[in-house]
Amino acid sequence: MTMRNLHRQAPWFALAGVIILLVSALAVFPVNAKPPAQETEKYCLSCHGDSTLSMTLPSGEKLSLYVSQDQLDHSVHSNKGIECEACHNDISSYPHPKLKYENKRELSLNYYQTCEKCHSANYQKAQDSMHAQAAAEGNADAPVCTDCHGHHDTAVPNEPRSLISETCSKCHSDIVDAYKQSVHGAALLGENNPDVPVCTDCHGVHNIQDSRTEEFRVQSPELCAKCHANKELMDKYDLSSDVYSIYKRSWHGVDISVYKARWGAVWHDSAVCTDCHGVHDMLKTDDPKSKVNPANLLETCRQCHPDAGPNWTGAWTGHNEISLERTPFLFYVDKFYSSFTPFILWACIIYVALQIIRSIVNRVRSTLS
Amino acid sequence: MSGNKTNRSASAQQEKTYARFTLGQRWEHAVLFLSAFVLLLTGLPQKYRDMSWSQDLLSTPERLYLIRQIHHIAAIILAMEAIYHIGRAIYLLSRRKMSAAMFPNMQDVYDAWHMLQYLLFLRKEKPVFGKYNFEQKVTYWFLFFGFALMGISGFIIWFPVQFTKFLPGGVVPASKMAHSTESVVAAIFIIIWHLYHVHIERLNLSIFTGRLSEKEMREYHAKEYERVNAGRPNKSDKDN
Repeated sequence: MTMRNLHRQAPWFALAGVIILLVSALAVFPVNAKPPAQETEKYCLSCHGDSTLSMTLPSGEKLSLYVSQDQLDHSVHSNKGIECEACHNDISSYPHPKLKYENKRELSLNYYQTCEKCHSANYQKAQDSMHAQAAAEGNADAPVCTDCHGHHDTAVPNEPRSLISETCSKCHSDIVDAYKQSVHGAALLGENNPDVPVCTDCHGVHNIQDSRTEEFRVQSPELCAKCHANKELMDKYDLSSDVYSIYKRSWHGVDISVYKARWGAVWHDSAVCTDCHGVHDMLKTDDPKSKVNPANLLETCRQCHPDAGPNWTGAWTGHNEISLERTPFLFYVDKFYSSFTPFILWACIIYVALQIIRSIVNRVRSTLS
Repeated sequence: MSGNKTNRSASAQQEKTYARFTLGQRWEHAVLFLSAFVLLLTGLPQKYRDMSWSQDLLSTPERLYLIRQIHHIAAIILAMEAIYHIGRAIYLLSRRKMSAAMFPNMQDVYDAWHMLQYLLFLRKEKPVFGKYNFEQKVTYWFLFFGFALMGISGFIIWFPVQFTKFLPGGVVPASKMAHSTESVVAAIFIIIWHLYHVHIERLNLSIFTGRLSEKEMREYHAKEYERVNAGRPNKSDKDN
């Protein structure tokens, strides 16, 4: 190879060099960035692996300082190579700085803030939640990240899905008990059904809102409609997917839609789904315990219409299209007007048009003659 | 008031006029017209509550409540008028003090048939009518039954709990549909049929003035004109 040839090939050598550099950079850096398997964790556990290790806080509470290897094995963090100091960022040496917290809760309320470092989006959403609002109003027990997700054993929150209701039941046990009896809860726990809603499907995940407000009430039918207006999903269970669209045309539904559109901040009692079907304890209509079972329906109506007599339930068209079998009166009225209205309209128009034509012709004739 | 009474206070050229409606009948029309108009105006925003124009009108829940109150008050006034009207008619008819001129008869069917032929250029002459022609009878009876239906269905949806104590529950949604649909049918009928006949075909103000001119009598109520001028007693004029 002469100098001349080498000169000619120089750009290619340079390009190959750059490619080799880039490829090696890609291959080498992650390997270098990955820390040797949990070295800090092992170091910390050399003391904190002692199950008797504890201290007493100024409040008199005994704080266990034990962290088991088992807990860490279940943690999504430890398995991804995230080490103790990622959260315990105030501890870098031994002896540790003195704990400045009065009690266990104060410690939790301070430590959970480190979650924001990595999970800032969900952390911010949680700050807009009903729970954060309760905390701001002075409720120290209002849950923070670690209350739901755990701390040393932070696991995937929805594996299995029933874990979500278990998590909520730590505080809302009576509601979760009712939910477990419901058609949704029973299917979740009994057959691990992937379609039924768990708490978070209706209430939201991190920005959980107060479900007792005017706004939540008038929007709640849409929550049910997310699944119950989904034809594909409802066909799977042989349920009607028209229940929501028919509800929206009903007296209750129209009423609620007006309040939602215009008067969202005004409380309104017109029935939403949960008023009749139950809030957390909804059951299949043919279940004898269901609030909308024909045997119990009148009692359910009387929640709002206390003086209603036994015929009253016949006034309810029951999420069904107009039919001769179910709603004969409505059926015949509908049949009658579907022909009577256009008949009257056209009869009036044609008769009056004929009269106008005749009178114009008469006038023209009289001016010509 | 006699049928051929001349308006003597007017000048000599003034046309002769004929009594058509009594003062009571004119008042009844006024009450009917005003209450029905208020019912329509306050009913339509309720019928179309899911439309944005209605929601603009019913800007607050209080406004909706107010409009319902007005609708109910107008409904009571119209219902009282209807009871008075029917009660008075039954009383007078039973004592043979009122002519049965408003009741439909076979002549109206022939008149309607002839009118249709005339309008289709199959007949040269317009049919001649009595005191109330078939068009006017259609107006009266169409609205009679329409208002009866709206009245009954309206009270059912106003007091659904009370009515279902003795009626099947299915009448409530049926009444709601009948009430709201019939109102639109009646409005269409009045706007096209009635307004054409009393305003456009000719300006017929007799329901307000109570009287018809001689020309109008001859042209539109020829039989009545003949009958009155033949000097026969006119039962309907004794109603006053």
